[in-house]
Amino acid sequence: MTLIWLGLFSGIAFGFVVQRVGATDAHKMARSHLMLDADIPRFMLLAVALSALGLFGLQSVGVGRILPLPTSIVATGLAAVIFGIGWGLTGYCPGTTWAAAGEGRMDAVFALLGGLAGAALFAQLHETLVPILYDPTNVGQITLTDLFGNQAMAVAMLVVVFGLCTWGIGKLWKSS
Amino acid sequence: MEPTNKERLPYWHWIPAAFALSGIIVFIFATYGPPASSSGFVSTLKGFLEWAAPDYVAAKAHYKAIPGPGSWLFAFALGMAIGGFIAGRTSKNIPVRDMPPIWKQRFGDSRAKRYGATFLGGFLILFGSRLAGGCTLGLFISGSTQLAISGLYFGVVIFAVAMLTARLLFGKVTEQEEIQ
Repeated sequence: MTLIWLGLFSGIAFGFVVQRVGATDAHKMARSHLMLDADIPRFMLLAVALSALGLFGLQSVGVGRILPLPTSIVATGLAAVIFGIGWGLTGYCPGTTWAAAGEGRMDAVFALLGGLAGAALFAQLHETLVPILYDPTNVGQITLTDLFGNQAMAVAMLVVVFGLCTWGIGKLWKSS
Repeated sequence: MEPTNKERLPYWHWIPAAFALSGIIVFIFATYGPPASSSGFVSTLKGFLEWAAPDYVAAKAHYKAIPGPGSWLFAFALGMAIGGFIAGRTSKNIPVRDMPPIWKQRFGDSRAKRYGATFLGGFLILFGSRLAGGCTLGLFISGSTQLAISGLYFGVVIFAVAMLTARLLFGKVTEQEEIQ
């Protein structure tokens, strides 16, 4: 029961912040993808860099639960291509769809309904598609720590690369 | 930050917003585990199907893997909608639109066309998310925070493909800078 309240509280806070920064605005999102507005991509990348530092801090005092998803070269890549087409088309991703629908954007309500249909179809096809697309090229739950051999080093690399990307987006995107 | 764009500041600045979001993400890792939002769609379906077709749900691997509505994942998705609602009601400056101006500029006023497109887009993002095992939050943000290669790989490809898709769809109207 506590977990449900924690989930609800976390969701409310998350939905509030993504609305306030403009991530639920499909217009702002389209402009981000067109390299006309740098705010949302920089917001996302900086949030990841800071979260990685925060999670490293948590883990160093033995708090928290992690579960990195496996990488399937074919399935993760193909899924990302399908996802990218939908994201570019609507300006919504699954999380912002919930928040934007709550905000009262009708196009997000239709994205939510489409999402339910897409999830239902995948659930129906799971037993067929996973053995064909996911399993053969599944290389396991690999992380940057496996590449660098040291977690602190891996976190530092991630923070530096995401920091550079954040800075680069500010330079390359021609916006505000 | 040219001063000419001052009127476009109904939004929070991205730097403090990123600190706020990462605070929430770290809180979630501490109190639950990796946050995810595409799973909330599966939880919703599972709740409905457990009532409508219990035998079907019990037999399908995807529904076995994701908990139903009585879970953190569903509460989080519901919370996102409530958070969006509260944020929308309490902001006077952020416009709530049914159709993005850039879409109108390119594809006209038809609501049916926009809603059809977002239905299709929603379908694609969820089909993709469920195949990969997560979405922008559940795979890219959560995964990268945990240093997972899957999250970084997914993130690079979704940004590249979304940017290409947006360019193909809206490329013609991007020169018209009056659309803000």
